[in-house]
Amino acid sequence: MKIEVDWTRCDGHGLCARLLPELIVADELGFPVFAERGLTGDLLLHARRAVAVCPALALRLERPEPNHTVR
Amino acid sequence: MSTTFDLGVSAAVPVAAWGQARLLAGTTSGRLDLSRHREVHGLPRRYDAAQLATALACVGLLGRGGAAFPVAAKLRGVATGRRTHVLVNGSEGEPASHKDRILMRLAPHVVLDGALAVASALEAGHLTIVVQDGLSLASMTAAVRERQDARAVRLVRHDHGFVGGEVRAVVRSLSGGPAAPPGRRVLPTVHGIDGRPTFASNVETFGHIALVASLGVDRFAEVGAPDEPGTTLVTLLGDVPHAGVLEVPTGLPLAALVGADHGPVLVGGYHGTWLPRASELLVSRPALRAAGAPLNAGVLARLPQDTCALGEVAAVARWLADESSGQCGPCFFGLPNLADILDQPAVGRPMLPDAYRRAGLLPGRGACAHPDGSAGFVRSALEVLDEEIAQHQAHGHCGRPLRGVLPTHAREAP
Repeated sequence: MKIEVDWTRCDGHGLCARLLPELIVADELGFPVFAERGLTGDLLLHARRAVAVCPALALRLERPEPNHTVR
Repeated sequence: MSTTFDLGVSAAVPVAAWGQARLLAGTTSGRLDLSRHREVHGLPRRYDAAQLATALACVGLLGRGGAAFPVAAKLRGVATGRRTHVLVNGSEGEPASHKDRILMRLAPHVVLDGALAVASALEAGHLTIVVQDGLSLASMTAAVRERQDARAVRLVRHDHGFVGGEVRAVVRSLSGGPAAPPGRRVLPTVHGIDGRPTFASNVETFGHIALVASLGVDRFAEVGAPDEPGTTLVTLLGDVPHAGVLEVPTGLPLAALVGADHGPVLVGGYHGTWLPRASELLVSRPALRAAGAPLNAGVLARLPQDTCALGEVAAVARWLADESSGQCGPCFFGLPNLADILDQPAVGRPMLPDAYRRAGLLPGRGACAHPDGSAGFVRSALEVLDEEIAQHQAHGHCGRPLRGVLPTHAREAP
């Protein structure tokens, strides 16, 4: 699984970075910076919690898709 | 060689073709009306969706709006039927680029032939053309009125800047939403206009589709590079041998277009990449992408020696910041911060670490590719302008005036 963020919703509250410091650090304005690593085991549990508490509902968990964007 | 090309005041953009003109065939004495267009191009053959996709795959046609997505693959991803939309994106929001406008003004029927060929192949019930500027809209409107087969075409003025002209922003706007890219990843081919399947591409792409339909695969592929046959439109500006819009066969040396002189070259416009020199690169989308400098919408530039290069880059960085749709925090705050750093390099204080750090915080952090493209433009500029930046930091300035070679505002005569 992978955390996806809807950047148009994110307001930089920074809760996700507190709940999931292994994966997310906040930049100086509070917007999340994601580490490149997979979500498994305990980390997945914490990730679900971070997704659930986001005040802006900007986060979701998704299965990684094949990289396929059409512009 | 120091041709100056002031896109800021002149609406007269020089237009030329090297080798045999195709998209621009017959336009040396001006706009082609329908009868002249038919004399030059003949009637396009008709294809069903599978045949058209096969033909486009054979010539390896890549989208000309910037992303260079394979057009055949896109076409195969769209369902056929009355619900389907075809969208021609003529919202050329990059101030340095003129090729789409030139094509719509000089050869509107080439664009229409391509759009109608796709609509017919997909049996689509809706065909929409969005245009940013008045002159191109007038040309397209006149062209639509000339034809029996274009009665159902909807022309829409869409003047929402650079980010607002991104295809997903256009789709959202045409569906009644704001002209800004959606936050969630949606494919226009599946969920396009009004949630319907939509084949959307840039006006030049449709022009090439028309050429495939009129010339056939073999003749289309007679010119150009093996990895991307045919021709391409480019907009050249700055200290280049022939400034303006040019139709060229793909595969020419980059140095032939921007000149072999020393000095940084911008490939791919304001979401593009600065290179220290033209070196041995060839101008085709696959080749330039492999070299780390995608052609994007076809803007190529070289700065003349007598302008402040850092100032030019800073002005574009400011424009890119102003063009942020303001939806996504990292872009809305990050781009102005980056532009601030470039604006006023303080004497004696190194700016590069801060600039690289800020630029590094942009990619992948927005609903669209604007932060990524803008960061790439600035980062690559910092890499090629090291001497220039050192001068600014030692003396406060390079001693050259800012001439505004890279345009950052609308460039139309009203």
